[in-house]
Amino acid sequence: MPNMEGEETPHRQIPDETLQKKHQSMIDRLAARRQTRLETRKPDSPDSSSTSAFLSRFNDFKNSITTQIESAADPSCLTDISSSISDLEKLVAENSYRLPSYEIRASLKTISDLRQNLDTLTAHIVPKKKFSFKNKPVKKETHIINQDTECNTVSLPELKKTSLPVRDSPGFRDKQSQVLVKNFKGSEIGEFTISGLDSCEVKLVGSVNALFINQLKNCKVYVGPVMGSILIEEVENCLLVLASHQIRIHFAKRSDFYLRARSRPIIEDSNEVRFAPYCLKYKGIEADLEVAGLNEETGNWTNVDDFKWLRAVQSPNWSVLPEEERIGTVDLVDLECGNGTI
Amino acid sequence: MGLLSIIRKIKKKEKEMRILMVGLDNSGKTTIVLKINGEDTSVISPTLGFNIKTITYQKYTLNIWDVGGQRTIRSYWRNYFEQTDGLVWVVDSSDLRRLDDCKMELDNLLKEERLSGASLLILANKQDINGALTPTEIAKVLNLEAMDKTRHWKIVGCSAYTGEGLLEGFDWLVQDIASRIYLLD
Repeated sequence: MPNMEGEETPHRQIPDETLQKKHQSMIDRLAARRQTRLETRKPDSPDSSSTSAFLSRFNDFKNSITTQIESAADPSCLTDISSSISDLEKLVAENSYRLPSYEIRASLKTISDLRQNLDTLTAHIVPKKKFSFKNKPVKKETHIINQDTECNTVSLPELKKTSLPVRDSPGFRDKQSQVLVKNFKGSEIGEFTISGLDSCEVKLVGSVNALFINQLKNCKVYVGPVMGSILIEEVENCLLVLASHQIRIHFAKRSDFYLRARSRPIIEDSNEVRFAPYCLKYKGIEADLEVAGLNEETGNWTNVDDFKWLRAVQSPNWSVLPEEERIGTVDLVDLECGNGTI
Repeated sequence: MGLLSIIRKIKKKEKEMRILMVGLDNSGKTTIVLKINGEDTSVISPTLGFNIKTITYQKYTLNIWDVGGQRTIRSYWRNYFEQTDGLVWVVDSSDLRRLDDCKMELDNLLKEERLSGASLLILANKQDINGALTPTEIAKVLNLEAMDKTRHWKIVGCSAYTGEGLLEGFDWLVQDIASRIYLLD
């Protein structure tokens, strides 16, 4: 704000002498600074010395950029346009000293409009970059670097079991080598639990609001769309076919997940987990998917966030399951009236 | 003029409240905040880090800090404790298996000195799900009655999915904070 420095006459009375001295020295300092600034300004290019000259230069420049934007067709010219806009901005900055403040404001507005046009154009020509997690929030760097060694010795925190007045929710619990089938159609079940299974095959048809999966070994789990969220803890050597709004995976090992999710699935304390798209079929699944808002492939099965790997490079804990290793579409036929063991 | 009264004055002028949302992962913290703010809740990814929402509520400005609940990032909760006026502890009432976990984390949180003055709202979320525990049951499991007598607290059943109960909970929280901080009103 150079023109403010010109107003040097104080209107107030300053009774205190020291204050007055301070004030005087400040004014001197400002005056000196202004002088040096004016001096350094002198060698500027002469053609931009007056406002009108600047304005005509500015307008020419602006028009050429506008034409560039209008005629741009491929990504390579975007950087050129962007640098032209920067040059224009530089021109304004260089001349900001001698320009009336209205002109500065107007020019800056023009520049920001140009930028906006360019942004719209960029969005049009270049597809948006995928969001990726940067390294910034990582505070405990060393802690995370030791990740690889930690992964193999993932230990569950000690959970003190207190006796709680808790009833059992519907679910399949503590079974071995069985085929477990459940059809939720027409049922009132809101949440369902699959827990403590070994070498079982689980088939769930229809929708629930919430699904909890924990402590599975060598199991195959096929699940119809879940409205709310799926929470998975401690699965090993399993194959799971799941669809939901949210999917959280904790303490999973050597397991394959075939997912469809409305949001980004997450893993935590897991390793050797692989991901592929959802591949389940049963009579009426389209309607169930539609109700759960999962009728379209979102591509989120490959947007996995690893909470133990908060950096831009791919987490070593998960990978995309190679196409040739994927199972084909699983069709849960003849389950429509099958209300199996529970 | 004491420091406290200066802070009170400043806060009074701005009518700002700082509210910290915490709870286990999958309890619905982000969904609650978005629902209160009237935003779309159909696509919400598990929170990596935190979100801040500034909401005008009645005549107050609420700065709501919604902090991710995954185990890995719970240790960062303490970075958000400073100057918290209201604490919202969100419970997934349908997650019966992890209630122990939930109780343990809440107990740890309430030991924190920097949160000792904060009003505590416990939201027993997911009441829309068939089979969810009622707020009374949750209060029993979390042993809320045994809490420090100086703490202002309330438990409210809610559903971030339908929106039910959210306003009741936040009305209480805002009123309680206001009666503590803006005594001069």
